Amino acid sequence: MMDELASAPRSEARHAAAAPAGAFTALLDVRGLTKRYGEQAALDDVSFDIRAGEVLGLIGPNGAGKTTMFEVLAGVATADAGEVSTRGQPLPQVRRAELLFYLPDAIRPYPEQPALRVLEFIAGVYARTPSDIADAAAAVGLDPVLAKRVSALSKGYSRRLMLALGLLTPHPLLLMDEPFDGLDLRQTAEVARLLRRIAGEGRTLMLAIHQLTDAARVCDRFVLLATGRVVAIGTLDELRTQCGRADGSLEEIFLALT
Amino acid sequence: MRSPDANAGRPAPLRPLLAKEIRDIAAGRALWALLLLVCPLVGYSFFQAMSLYGEASAAAAGSPALAVSLSPLDGVLVPTLGAFYVAVTLLFPFVAIRALGSEKESGALRLLVQLPYRSVTLIAVKLVAVLAALLLAAVPALSALVIWMLLGGHLAAAETSNLLLGHLLYGVLVGTVALFAAAVCENSATAAIVALAFTIGSWVLDFTVAGNPGPLGWLSSLSLTQTLRSFEQGLLSIGLVAGIFIASLGFIALAAIFLPPGVPLRTKLARAAICVAIVAIALGAATRIGTSIDVTEDRRNSFPLADQQALAQLAGPLVIDVHLSPEDPRYVDLQRNVLAKLQRAMPDVTVRLVSPRQAVATATGDDSYGLIEYAYGSQRATSRSTSHREALPVIYGLAGVAPPAPIAAADYPGYPLAARGDAALAWFLAGLPLLIVIAWWWMRRPPPISRFQVQPGGQS
Repeated sequence: MMDELASAPRSEARHAAAAPAGAFTALLDVRGLTKRYGEQAALDDVSFDIRAGEVLGLIGPNGAGKTTMFEVLAGVATADAGEVSTRGQPLPQVRRAELLFYLPDAIRPYPEQPALRVLEFIAGVYARTPSDIADAAAAVGLDPVLAKRVSALSKGYSRRLMLALGLLTPHPLLLMDEPFDGLDLRQTAEVARLLRRIAGEGRTLMLAIHQLTDAARVCDRFVLLATGRVVAIGTLDELRTQCGRADGSLEEIFLALT
Repeated sequence: MRSPDANAGRPAPLRPLLAKEIRDIAAGRALWALLLLVCPLVGYSFFQAMSLYGEASAAAAGSPALAVSLSPLDGVLVPTLGAFYVAVTLLFPFVAIRALGSEKESGALRLLVQLPYRSVTLIAVKLVAVLAALLLAAVPALSALVIWMLLGGHLAAAETSNLLLGHLLYGVLVGTVALFAAAVCENSATAAIVALAFTIGSWVLDFTVAGNPGPLGWLSSLSLTQTLRSFEQGLLSIGLVAGIFIASLGFIALAAIFLPPGVPLRTKLARAAICVAIVAIALGAATRIGTSIDVTEDRRNSFPLADQQALAQLAGPLVIDVHLSPEDPRYVDLQRNVLAKLQRAMPDVTVRLVSPRQAVATATGDDSYGLIEYAYGSQRATSRSTSHREALPVIYGLAGVAPPAPIAAADYPGYPLAARGDAALAWFLAGLPLLIVIAWWWMRRPPPISRFQVQPGGQS
């Protein structure tokens, strides 16, 4: 399946929202996704799609349901209702790992291991070479701390480690929860450039971001989420049109729509 | 960087997963702390066993009759490995739990379950790493056996291997229980409580309900500690080995069922119920395997060779009705000296406790209490003896065969050894711990990273 997914046209995505409706087959199509914790709905009838090669921002304040959305999509949590499909074919939970890889927020995998060992593990699983490891480490600026234990890494380097792990996976779609969290301004700019480069090489990214300025810098389209519901979907221009603020920033648009 | 789809469709290799598991278990303090604690535990037990064995050997120096009773299995191996058993029961669950618990706590489990491995593969590979840790933890005990041999002690290959197999199986069982606990519980602390409830709960079962008739007796037979007993007695019980194997597989399957976070609890419980039912049926079948082999050098679990051969020829069913309470010492003697040996020697033996719930104190007024009734074909006979020297002639008489002539065989000579274990104590209290600390330090050294750093110019 991954072959099929990866062989899909790479060029169809950039700024895809500007293209006529129906011109694209969604890499991932989410319909009516609902997840409840008791009486509270963490996700309430959420629908959107992701187009191959684009960077889709899942925008919302803390508690909006971004992480729940990723966990449900990745199959590490179950949905109460809803359907997920890829290129028109249903994608059941047990097969999600064939299409996408989810990089959770705020985890430090294998804290007693040196960062290099963690990279080697994931690289080994996907038959990557030492050269791939070196490239991934260099791409995220992880070289200075490769020998350090994960538990001793700063928050920023932990984030870079997760990004490097994502680079070593072969999945067409990467879900990243708060990729800029813990990074300073310069690092944020570097990682944003890197993410754009990854998307340019054909991978599709879905980023959960609560810092709206960071999101505006890197994403092609946005899904605005508030209290588990989709408030708006579109490019920055489309969102401006929707809320009637021709020059509004993403922050202003979000405040206007929620 | 390689294209994302470069490796699609290939089965994921197990080697990196296994390497990760072994590195992770070796990186934790739990394993090394266990090793450091096992050293004095095993060392002191070995030292004490050697001292007592040496004293008994000195007393038997001029008496071959006394020397015959000196068996290294009872005198040295069982007490030395008994200390290892205590460590495995109380400390090893913490090591095994770490194999999964640390991933749960660090969040790495959410990465792990996305990798292209089935849950059962993940658990099985973790079990292999846990097994490697168990073998490492056995190094102090194994070194005691080496020291024993270096000092001139005797080890019989079959009984020693059998005892080591028993400890290995017990360790595997404890390891699978711990992995199951780690899979079910949210954190390692709770998992430790659950795992210790199994292991220490077994001790409680042994102390409180063992020897009781009926359901309580059956309950006590589920105790984990029962798994070692027959190995310590020099018996290789096929049914027991199969039972431990099945139980271990069951705990692995349950751990695999409860591992994935993205499966509803109701589904997990339904699958677990099916798994438990299958394991219960398989365990029931395993308990019906009565084959056990006496691997002791002194053949303590068997009748004399001539009797063994003669009894094996008696194909008819032998039914023995025992009018004794299970907790009566005479029943214990009868079971050990006659019944258990008969069940191994003859193809069809049925033993029935006629009044299993009758207490010793209330039974003494009953004239039939203490009788042992033997029935072979249409012939019946009774006896009150708990010795095979009286029971076997009764059986031969019922079968209408003459008691066999003794077969000349080399008598067990006994293996006295009056050696001191002071040097061994130094090894266990200083030498081995030092080596363990050095190994720990070596494991924690940073990896060489030069080949992974991209040189200026972009090439690694």
